[in-house]
Amino acid sequence: MLAAPIPAYDSERLAALRAMLILDTPPEERFDKVAQFAAQEFDVPIALISLIDENRQWFKARVGLDVCEMGRNASFCGHAILQPDIFVIHDARADERFADNPIVTGAPYVIFYAGAPLPMPSGYVIGTLCLIDHKPRTLDTTELAIFSSLRDLLVEELSNPAEAPHE
Amino acid sequence: MSEAPVGNLNMLLVEEQTLLRKTVSLTARSLGLGTVHEAASMQAAERMLGERAFHGAVISIDCGADENCHYNLALLDKVRNGLSASAATIPIAVMVDQATADLMRELRERHVNRVILKPFRAKILLEAFESFGTVAAQKQAT
Repeated sequence: MLAAPIPAYDSERLAALRAMLILDTPPEERFDKVAQFAAQEFDVPIALISLIDENRQWFKARVGLDVCEMGRNASFCGHAILQPDIFVIHDARADERFADNPIVTGAPYVIFYAGAPLPMPSGYVIGTLCLIDHKPRTLDTTELAIFSSLRDLLVEELSNPAEAPHE
Repeated sequence: MSEAPVGNLNMLLVEEQTLLRKTVSLTARSLGLGTVHEAASMQAAERMLGERAFHGAVISIDCGADENCHYNLALLDKVRNGLSASAATIPIAVMVDQATADLMRELRERHVNRVILKPFRAKILLEAFESFGTVAAQKQAT
């Protein structure tokens, strides 16, 4: 397994994440809606808003996963935050970086993964919006564009510090 | 209605769910399908239909959980009767929670081009808008 790499600028990235005062906060409807929308739109069992802390990924919103955090080392999102755009693994079992990863070989059985990095106005990527399936998948051009739009809307929402009233 | 290049089409989406509406609008722009103008309510849509000519529209007349609701077909009638700034023949897709025989008859009478059933997905709405572009291109070619 290739552990999620730690970038040289990680301390600055973590400072930007922690300054948002979002880690370990209660669920918020505006973020839950994004995860629910993603799960329905892409017909995946798991959709997450994953924030990459020093040693863990913590989920601000989650569909289809009971735990609120997992180790950064084995996380796919830890890889995705270093990518210039959406990071897709069609079949983790066929990818030598992930084939023996414990979250591939065991629960939650991440076989398909797509993670859209969440860049903040500071320039640092704090986490991902990600999709997980238990079987191999692909995303076509339209789906990638939809995923990218959803990510952009999420970034806009994350940039608003307080929960706005809903219609 | 003036002719426009396919990538320059103005289309209307009437849908109350903000996330679905915004995702479709943003994605249509990024894919070069044209500009999807957003209306969150029938009232907003009615105003927009009076102000601007559209090349196509996707209109949610979803009743939600209300079993006794009457679908609001007023917008369809407005367009089809030539009471909007758009051509009366523009392609229209309708989003509904379920397809009853009575409703389908009403929609056929109003020459609705496509019916989209729940669950509403951005991809399906984008396909509808893309097909409107094809219709517009065909009209321009003839």
